[in-house]
Amino acid sequence: MDVYDIPVARITEQYLEYLDFLKKVDLEIVGDYMSMAAELGYIKSRMLLPRIRTQEEDEGEDPREELVRRLVEYEKYRSAAEDLERREILGKDVFVAGYDHGEELGEPVSETEFVKFDLWSLVDAFSKIYEDGKKSETRDLLFSYEEAYTVEERKTQVARIVRERKEVFFHDLFEEEENRMKLVVTFLSILELLKDGLLDVSQSGYGEPIKITGREAE
Amino acid sequence: MNDTESLERIIESIIFVSKHPVTAQELSGFLKDVEKKEVTRALGELEKRWEAAGRSFTLGNVAGGYRFRTRPEYSEYIVRFNKEIKKFRLSKPALEVLAIIAYRQPVTKIEADRIRGVDCSSSVGLLLEKNFIEISGRKEVPGKPFLYRTTGLFLETFGLKNLRDLPTVKEIERIREDLSPDEVRTQDAETAEETERTEEDPGETD
Repeated sequence: MDVYDIPVARITEQYLEYLDFLKKVDLEIVGDYMSMAAELGYIKSRMLLPRIRTQEEDEGEDPREELVRRLVEYEKYRSAAEDLERREILGKDVFVAGYDHGEELGEPVSETEFVKFDLWSLVDAFSKIYEDGKKSETRDLLFSYEEAYTVEERKTQVARIVRERKEVFFHDLFEEEENRMKLVVTFLSILELLKDGLLDVSQSGYGEPIKITGREAE
Repeated sequence: MNDTESLERIIESIIFVSKHPVTAQELSGFLKDVEKKEVTRALGELEKRWEAAGRSFTLGNVAGGYRFRTRPEYSEYIVRFNKEIKKFRLSKPALEVLAIIAYRQPVTKIEADRIRGVDCSSSVGLLLEKNFIEISGRKEVPGKPFLYRTTGLFLETFGLKNLRDLPTVKEIERIREDLSPDEVRTQDAETAEETERTEEDPGETD
């Protein structure tokens, strides 16, 4: 293979396509497999690079063997976790007399499902806004330090807007952001506020506008 | 207390009001004039009786003891009637960490991190909070990291009698054997001899 002719673009494209696919499957999986994908890249690069010694033995273990070993190891526990989940679980499939109904077993349902479902919708929605921003001339201004504000400042603003209007569409929060830096800062502020439990996100269906509402302080 | 019928009923009444699985150990400690063998027999008999009675609940042999548990087909009604029930739920990462700890205990968080390739701190924290795992000590290596093991609540929640009751991950063992034929594992066979086979055993359902 010609070293100068490695189709990096194609490999990258495939990699992104793969990640895209994973995104649709499960957010957690993306995180879990991200380092694996990086490792695959490393192995590929190692295989592409010419070897200094020609004797294969000197190279030590084939990096793929280590990878296979680790994948098998992980797969074992992944499938064990699935087996556990399929069992008749107390508090889900079976109940006992005097079951402490208030004391939940496992994670609170609403919050985990909430974030899991919505995070990628938010990322999706944001990347659309961001891409639009790139196309529009008004937004493609250079970042200037004078105009910059911090995530902390923007958080306060966003929280105020939501409090005042009670309910606001996700994309409306980006209306006045004229440069990309500000778009990013706004997005980060929203994420932070969500993490702090000060906002709620809802969407009536796939592709519908995302609505943001304030959450009562507990 | 020669009447076996009355022994069964005494035990049954104790189990009925107990808030945790009642063990033969506890019962024979309390019923001093009864042999443990008798208690174990009575428990087994009760389990069979309630199973045969065909009621909506059975006497489950879980976490080393016995507790009345509803049959899974009624879960929907129970949850619908008890609005305040927050159903059990663990995310996939938390379940994976739980599986790693269950099968490898005692084990450190770092080992779980290494297997999953990502940091497992939040899952470990959650599992501790939910009392599915507990700290069993520290590993004698630099940094002395905590070792974790599963709790009785873990066994009870997943309907396991004890840790040996954990399903063997057969499929994966087979793959491993293919990879390294020198290390053919015989553990499956050993476990089969030790453990009382039940219909729950996934080794047979697969």
